[in-house]
Amino acid sequence: MLNVLVVSSILKLLLVGAYRSTDFEVHRNWLAITYSLPISEWYYEKTSEWTLDYPPFFAWFERLLATFAPLADGKMLQVDNLNYASENTVLFQRLTVIVSELVLYWAILRYRRSFGSKYVNWVIAGSIFLHPGFLIVDHLHFQYNGFLYGILLHSIVEMKKRRYLLSGFLFAALLNFKHIYLYMAPAYFIYLLKAYCFQPIPTPTENGHADRQAYANVSRFSLVNFIKLGATVVVVFAISLGPFVYMGQIPQLLSRLFPFTRGLCHAYWAPNFWALYAGADRVLIIIGKRLGWSLNQDALGSMTRGFVGDTKFAVLPQIDAIHTLIITVIAQLIPLQLLWRKPTFNNFLTSLVLCGFASFLFGWHVHEKAILLILIPYSLMAANTKAHLKIFIILSASGIYSLFPLLFHSAETPIKTIFTLTWLLIVLPSLARTLHTPLRAVLHPLERLYLVGLVVLQIYTDVLHTVIFGTGKLEFLPLMMISIYTALGVCYGWVRLMAGYLNGTI
Amino acid sequence: MTRSKMQQHGVDSPLAKNAPANRWFQLLVQNQTFWTAPLVTVLFSLFVRWAVALNPYSGFQTPPMFGDYEAQRHWMELTIHLPIKKWYRYDLQWWGLDYPPLTAYHSWLCGIVGSWINPAWFALDESRGYESPDSKHFMRATVVFWESIIFIPAVLVFTQICYGKQGHLKKNIAALLILLQPALIIIDHGHFQFNNIMLGTTLWAVNCFMMQQYALGSFFFCLSLGFKQMALYYAPAVFAFLLGKCFKEPNGIAMFIRLGVTVVATFGVLLSPFLTSVEDILQVFHRVFPIARGLYEDKVANMWCAVNVVVKLRQLFDLQTTIRLSLVATVLTMLPSVIHLGLNPTRKRLMYGLVCCSMSFFLFSFQVHEKSILLPALPVTLLILEEPWAVNMFINVAMFSMFPLLKREDLVLPYFLVTILWNYLAGFHTISMSKVVKLLTSICYTVILVWHIAESHIPPPQALPDLYTVLNVLFSCGCYLLAFLYFNWRQINLVDNATEYTDHRKKHQ
Repeated sequence: MLNVLVVSSILKLLLVGAYRSTDFEVHRNWLAITYSLPISEWYYEKTSEWTLDYPPFFAWFERLLATFAPLADGKMLQVDNLNYASENTVLFQRLTVIVSELVLYWAILRYRRSFGSKYVNWVIAGSIFLHPGFLIVDHLHFQYNGFLYGILLHSIVEMKKRRYLLSGFLFAALLNFKHIYLYMAPAYFIYLLKAYCFQPIPTPTENGHADRQAYANVSRFSLVNFIKLGATVVVVFAISLGPFVYMGQIPQLLSRLFPFTRGLCHAYWAPNFWALYAGADRVLIIIGKRLGWSLNQDALGSMTRGFVGDTKFAVLPQIDAIHTLIITVIAQLIPLQLLWRKPTFNNFLTSLVLCGFASFLFGWHVHEKAILLILIPYSLMAANTKAHLKIFIILSASGIYSLFPLLFHSAETPIKTIFTLTWLLIVLPSLARTLHTPLRAVLHPLERLYLVGLVVLQIYTDVLHTVIFGTGKLEFLPLMMISIYTALGVCYGWVRLMAGYLNGTI
Repeated sequence: MTRSKMQQHGVDSPLAKNAPANRWFQLLVQNQTFWTAPLVTVLFSLFVRWAVALNPYSGFQTPPMFGDYEAQRHWMELTIHLPIKKWYRYDLQWWGLDYPPLTAYHSWLCGIVGSWINPAWFALDESRGYESPDSKHFMRATVVFWESIIFIPAVLVFTQICYGKQGHLKKNIAALLILLQPALIIIDHGHFQFNNIMLGTTLWAVNCFMMQQYALGSFFFCLSLGFKQMALYYAPAVFAFLLGKCFKEPNGIAMFIRLGVTVVATFGVLLSPFLTSVEDILQVFHRVFPIARGLYEDKVANMWCAVNVVVKLRQLFDLQTTIRLSLVATVLTMLPSVIHLGLNPTRKRLMYGLVCCSMSFFLFSFQVHEKSILLPALPVTLLILEEPWAVNMFINVAMFSMFPLLKREDLVLPYFLVTILWNYLAGFHTISMSKVVKLLTSICYTVILVWHIAESHIPPPQALPDLYTVLNVLFSCGCYLLAFLYFNWRQINLVDNATEYTDHRKKHQ
């Protein structure tokens, strides 16, 4: 495992000079804000358009990183030094990502110890640490997901070890690092409530089956445990939000964290249900024009132009935030009721993934990067059964591919494609091998065709599109194709997983 | 440790048991997914190449003359726009073409494809010093493309020939370490050149020789010469080997004639567009062998530069004398190895012969560039499993000797990273060795380390602005000389006979 760490760190350092998105400047700005300004101004400062919109723990994390920044280049810490990116600044910020990922490294080591040192866990641990999603989003695009997922993984490991309080504590802390993990909170809530706060009353069953006892319906509510759990969570939130409550800044803080003024879809549609919905609308527009329907005129042009505006539909009904909320909640409740009835660890993991899924597929203004919420926890169960492996392959391929447009420069194209291919080539045969089944037998011919389609799509968007239409023409088309095609794969994975979970066949 | 000793220990490769590369492949064996090994190796090495390619190239944003990148781009530009007759004559002050015709044809092909994508990249005269992210990406892609169709397959075939019968592990480890050899990666994909084409065709020639396809091999070697005249560094060894084979093989005379015809025909075809007039062909030779440029230009870690610190040769002798001096020195130093190879033309000796011969060229010949160390570095790298320690030292010193060049081009970080990556994967830090060797190794590394620290922290004294470069030259040259002697000694003492490889084959059948 140390070898993996050393080699991957060398590779990541090689990419220091590669493309970085505006998120790089976002985080530089946050370094500057947290370092140079008193806490009371953190959530008010708006010199840069990239205001602080992560919860307080993340701000403290930035503050911690900023203490080391003067060693590299102190100028990056000036709030008004916008878009500052000296060589040392870039190196420093890239290094903070690589170093903070040690939390993830530690987490996978612990995962391997607590889940058993079987070969399959070695593969899974390695596959998470070297996940192409992290390479693309963290080391090129620039974010700190490796660090955050490290905390999540620690929390899951604690859950596996039945140290519920610690697990809940870690998850509460994680929420205060980045609130996107709220998507997963329902699964945590239900599982902790049922597995920790309800104590099963041992009833002698006739066959004495151990599993039955674990989720026997005869259980007693333990108020002590509930208070302990509640207190843990409350303390975490109090530490995080307390100073801002004291300063009366909570409304301002919340308005930063939850900006509801954005549209349904992000500029580039995340591969979710709404991408399919919007795609269907586009198709209907074309059909409608042929048949002479009356169309919502101001919607016609808005689909691809408005960067962060409302998405309007010309044919299909409009979608509001409340609709997405209702659908998301329903999609989460379905797996959660099963978790409530059978609170096993495996069901918890599946529910966790399905909660992430529900929010990703049906949520409001979802970013494509959120696909990691599904991919990373799912890795943990990838080799449980053949059906899981099948879903994992489809999801990983389409999910990682949907991240490709984040790096739109030609120079990084080989980097992301080769890395993803290598990753798939190492991980998939190994996982198939641990299930004692040939890789071929896992996938249906149609599913294989879908994967081949991804390759064809990559060639089209990369080469053929420019050849056919010329540079700079119809630039939205490849992006639309990618998000719709990958949305198909992601939705398919969700349906399979949901069905298998509910039937108990997975 | 000798090979037989290793086999007693039951270790399949001469590298340490827990070298990361070793452990990685053993893991695949355990998991029965070994079929992925060659693919992963190739993909991994491509990844490293592309990652290095993200860095600046030679002459990046440095007008007025830019650098080697501009030279290559300019050749693509001029070959697609001008008639062949003008290729070696057009505005020679601006990176005039000074490589043999195959480079010109290759530039023409790349230029055609490139200007099909975007004509502005290669517009005649207008595009001088043209730099854009997309054109850079295209140029980088051409290097990777040619490397993937010539050099990389050549390495895979080479390892198959040498180690194919000795289990999968050895073969794959050799392939991984040869492909990740840092010097070639950093020069071709960082600095920007097409050395891999010359080295790849040479390696194909070696492969053919090993499979006893001598005519085909000499064809490949002619291509190599036709691509870059630097392949001449290998020529005496190749010639001696083939001549020796002609004497050893039955039907030697027929083989000799076949080889002669192949060479003449290959060069005939390569040079054919220029053969119509004496003037044209002379112009090609004049451009390819620019003797007027002097004994040495930059500070290179060869003998002449090192001696120059004490004795100013260029001022002492005139041009003709220095040419003669270097010629005599080169020939004399390579004679022992070449004659020995001619008398005992075996496969393994060929490798050592190539090392020694190209080393004597590098150390003693006329007009050597620091990048020319890549030529000895190729056969040296091929010996990685035979001489892990020597190869490791050699390549690290080679990287070190190119550092001043790489620093000028802002490639310091990748310089360190690819070197560390290669050393780490091979687990060189875990090789067991005798005390003397260990001492020698630690002295070398201490010197390199101290040099790097001093160079980055203490500015050189005003009177000696090139102090660090000169120290680098002296140290590297000393190491190279030792390596030269060592490989000569190894070649002469090599326990190898022509049947060694066939023996292995029989054993495993």
